[in-house]
Amino acid sequence: MKRKTTDTISIIVFLLPALILFFGILVLPMVLSGYYSLFEWNGVGDMKFINFGNFKEMFTSDLVPMKAGLLHALLLAGLSVGIQLPLSLGLALMLGRGIKGERFFLSINFLPVLISTVVIGKLWSAIYTPKGMLNNLLRSLGIIGEKNILWTNDGKNGKLLLACIIPMLWQYVGYHMLLMYAGVKSVAPELREAAKIDGATTWQVDRHVVIPSMKQVLKVSVIFAVTGSLKAYDLISILGGNKNSSAAVPSTLLMNQMFDANRVGMGSAIAVIMIILCFAFAVLINFLFRERD
Amino acid sequence: MAKKKDSFNPDQYAIQKSSPVFRVVSTVLLIIWSALNLYPLFWMITFSLKDNMQITKTAMYGLPKGAPSEWIWKNYKDLQIKDILMYFKNSAIVTFLAILISMIAAMMASYALMRIKWKFRGAINKMFMLGITIPVQASLVPVFIIAKNLGWIDTRMALIIPYAAFSLSMSILISNGFMTNIPMDLDEAAYIDGCSRYGVFFRIIVPLMLPAVSTIAIYSFLQCWNELMFASTFISTKELRTLPSGLRQLTGTYTTNFGLVGAAITVATIPTIIIYILLSRKIQESFIAGAVKG
Amino acid sequence: MKKILATLLVVAMVLSLAACGDKNNTTNNSSNNTPAGAVDMTKSCSLTMWCIAVETDSNRASYEHAIADMKAKYPNIDFKWEATQNDDYKPKIKAAFQADAVSDIFFTWSCAFLGEFVKAGKVYCLDEAYKEFADKIDMGRMCKNTTYDGKKYGVPLTMNIVALFANMDILKSVGYDDVPATYEDLLKCCEALKAKNIIPFGCAAAADQTWCVTEYVEPIIEKACGAKVLDDIFAGNASWDNADVAKAVNIFQDMINKGYFDPDGAGLNNDTVKNNFIAGDYAFYMNGSWNCADFAKVDGLNVKVSEFPVIDASKSKLGQLIGGPSDTLAVWNGSKNAAVAAKYTLEMGQLLSKYGYLDGCGLPAWKVDYDISNINPLTKKVAEIVNNSDYMVLFGDTAMKAEDADKYLKEIAKVYGGEVNGTTFTSDLKNSIR
Repeated sequence: MKRKTTDTISIIVFLLPALILFFGILVLPMVLSGYYSLFEWNGVGDMKFINFGNFKEMFTSDLVPMKAGLLHALLLAGLSVGIQLPLSLGLALMLGRGIKGERFFLSINFLPVLISTVVIGKLWSAIYTPKGMLNNLLRSLGIIGEKNILWTNDGKNGKLLLACIIPMLWQYVGYHMLLMYAGVKSVAPELREAAKIDGATTWQVDRHVVIPSMKQVLKVSVIFAVTGSLKAYDLISILGGNKNSSAAVPSTLLMNQMFDANRVGMGSAIAVIMIILCFAFAVLINFLFRERD
Repeated sequence: MAKKKDSFNPDQYAIQKSSPVFRVVSTVLLIIWSALNLYPLFWMITFSLKDNMQITKTAMYGLPKGAPSEWIWKNYKDLQIKDILMYFKNSAIVTFLAILISMIAAMMASYALMRIKWKFRGAINKMFMLGITIPVQASLVPVFIIAKNLGWIDTRMALIIPYAAFSLSMSILISNGFMTNIPMDLDEAAYIDGCSRYGVFFRIIVPLMLPAVSTIAIYSFLQCWNELMFASTFISTKELRTLPSGLRQLTGTYTTNFGLVGAAITVATIPTIIIYILLSRKIQESFIAGAVKG
Repeated sequence: MKKILATLLVVAMVLSLAACGDKNNTTNNSSNNTPAGAVDMTKSCSLTMWCIAVETDSNRASYEHAIADMKAKYPNIDFKWEATQNDDYKPKIKAAFQADAVSDIFFTWSCAFLGEFVKAGKVYCLDEAYKEFADKIDMGRMCKNTTYDGKKYGVPLTMNIVALFANMDILKSVGYDDVPATYEDLLKCCEALKAKNIIPFGCAAAADQTWCVTEYVEPIIEKACGAKVLDDIFAGNASWDNADVAKAVNIFQDMINKGYFDPDGAGLNNDTVKNNFIAGDYAFYMNGSWNCADFAKVDGLNVKVSEFPVIDASKSKLGQLIGGPSDTLAVWNGSKNAAVAAKYTLEMGQLLSKYGYLDGCGLPAWKVDYDISNINPLTKKVAEIVNNSDYMVLFGDTAMKAEDADKYLKEIAKVYGGEVNGTTFTSDLKNSIR
């Protein structure tokens, strides 16, 4: 019994710092967002209770293109899981097998994460400019004709969404690669050797020995990739997608409503949707990875 | 030195014999991919030696125009290096303390969640995971109000505590992985020797958690180091500005000298990269140690 | 165990909630210190100011200059100022107002941006303070954008208008010694340029650059329909549903369709377009008068500045401009020294207007009583245009409420992309903007 009470106290003591941070800085804004989301409010004037009006509006009106925003975020999440992560995994496996200059490659490929997003954004703007690198490359390959593709145009002739997605996928390959590389490396060498002796090919070893033992790492990567996609903001905003553009994502819509349009209620409602969605995905991913245990 | 090197040798994990074709193909692929990832660094440095005309029109991708003596070295001369170092220092202080706080809080929480058996630990653990779902943009105003009432506005605390809070969930997630890896027998043995929970945590768990430190640090670092919105909203005093908001001083309303911005970013990024390269062995090593459990 | 944990959670919640319980206190206890009589400017106090003149901003020098003067004049006032980058400033100032923690003096944009704060009762009224300055400024014109319900809340600094910049070397090559003075002549000039494979106009229209398109559309609408029509629409006093506006928008689209604009424009940023103009890729560039100082600095660039020619002389005339006072300083109602801040701001605003003008970064909102012979010729010319003007309509995206401006810019982008014509433009905006 005595052990039990001291345990309770020590649990509290150990959890306290995290709980204070969590409730003070993270939960409170979340609660306030939930509260504000039920109002029409410009942030400084009177608040008008409108129930779920903001939620209704964002899914029915064109002025807050939340449906498109969510679609873009889900597309990004899908591409992130479908392209970025396999690429990272491929690189990690390749490096993990032992290649000359392994550590050099590992460090280089992590660099884009360390370089300021402003620089990355500027670089891609230069790549996308009408008479720029990308159009010239496509032209020399015979993919486009006389007319330039206007990558960063927001209209129906532009490719803004694609232009925003490409660098976002590219920039974080190294981030996931580093995580996964660690996973690859921590597979006991004896396991691999055993499989090899049994006559498995390199690919079979990866497929049946290495990848299954990396499940936890993969889970974390998928969670980071999906929640990161749902919250994406920086690069889109730097490449010009920060208004209600054709590349709008929930975060840009949130900023736009909250600080350009002075609609704190609507901005909060968007935040609520984002939180619910991220959490739902995190739970879902946990569930999917657990099921196969 | 030699001994240190022995502690991590990637080759010991590797299968020694893969086919030569595979080696050549993968090396070529890796070289191409690495070139793509190295280019931004090269571009950033050349960018800092150009003027606006070259950046937007005449020398967009490669070296600046003309001989090295004609490059726009002036960008570096015009730079207030002292200010940038000050911003760098502020960023370092804020980031370091934020990481420290979130790491301590995360390890303590992780200990209570992973090594003491009680009823709601699963639920509490899930609750903490909510933290990675919160968009920072939505919390700007509420956090401003909290910080104001605590008297933190225009002090480093206004950044340290929110940054710590926003990296908390990720730190707990990573910490949990490491924590489950430490055999429970160690705790039990210590209890039998008369250690309290606290004694176990500080004497046994913390030292064994050291490999987790760099993993947590690097993920938290990425979150805190480039944060701009809180930094520019909560801090007004120049002497307290962090790098991202300090560098924004170089972006004018209508005209911006992008070469100067490039020079500033280069000056600010190079130390980060050097530190990363110096630490990368350590970082990668600790990543591997903590990997399986994520 | 369960109970303790629950209690703990509740305590944490309450603690953090209590922390923001008293958020309305500051405004209440400090808004009542408006003095009846003269303001004592000799007592010591401290004032803070937030603005957007960051270290490399073109206005920086004028701020440093003006503040040095003010500090010398009022050594008793401890003045502290900090600049935040334009784009970061908007969330900052809005968050600060929501949290009631604003600097004593703050930079703002006129019309709708400041209006929101005024409506919420958070801005100090400057009527009393203005009394002393009645002869220093043309209040009717310059304070119009910061007057709400007949009360003045803002101090205008420098201002800018939309100007038509022409590369005279290029015009000369097609036989023009001066900027075409009539609309018909301008079109002829464009044809001549086209025949020589020179692109007449450069305009940026990549995502987020739509404001550059408005620098073309607004003067064209104004010169086709008259300033009053546009002003009423921007101010919300008239509907967008106006056949003349639709026609003017069609005129603009016609110019695009005829190939008078860089076909790549829809994918370009303003920085690139501006550099293209400097490099001689375009004959004309229509943009804000803040470009004057930059163009004047380029060696060998022979630029003339003028206003867009009149399109329909029965409705508009020269001297109807787009632009006007937008950059403004205002005083927070919650300031402990609001009255002192008000007087200080007015004096400083006057200096900022002067130094900004002398540096060529804008036109003075305050009357000129100093030597201007050293100002660059382009800025001087624009000042002349403004002096001869009789109607200035503020930039649409500043004049309108943020929410409406957003819809407006989106629709403008569609005009440039050819996705809508004049009629659909006006009817779309009629429906979306109340």
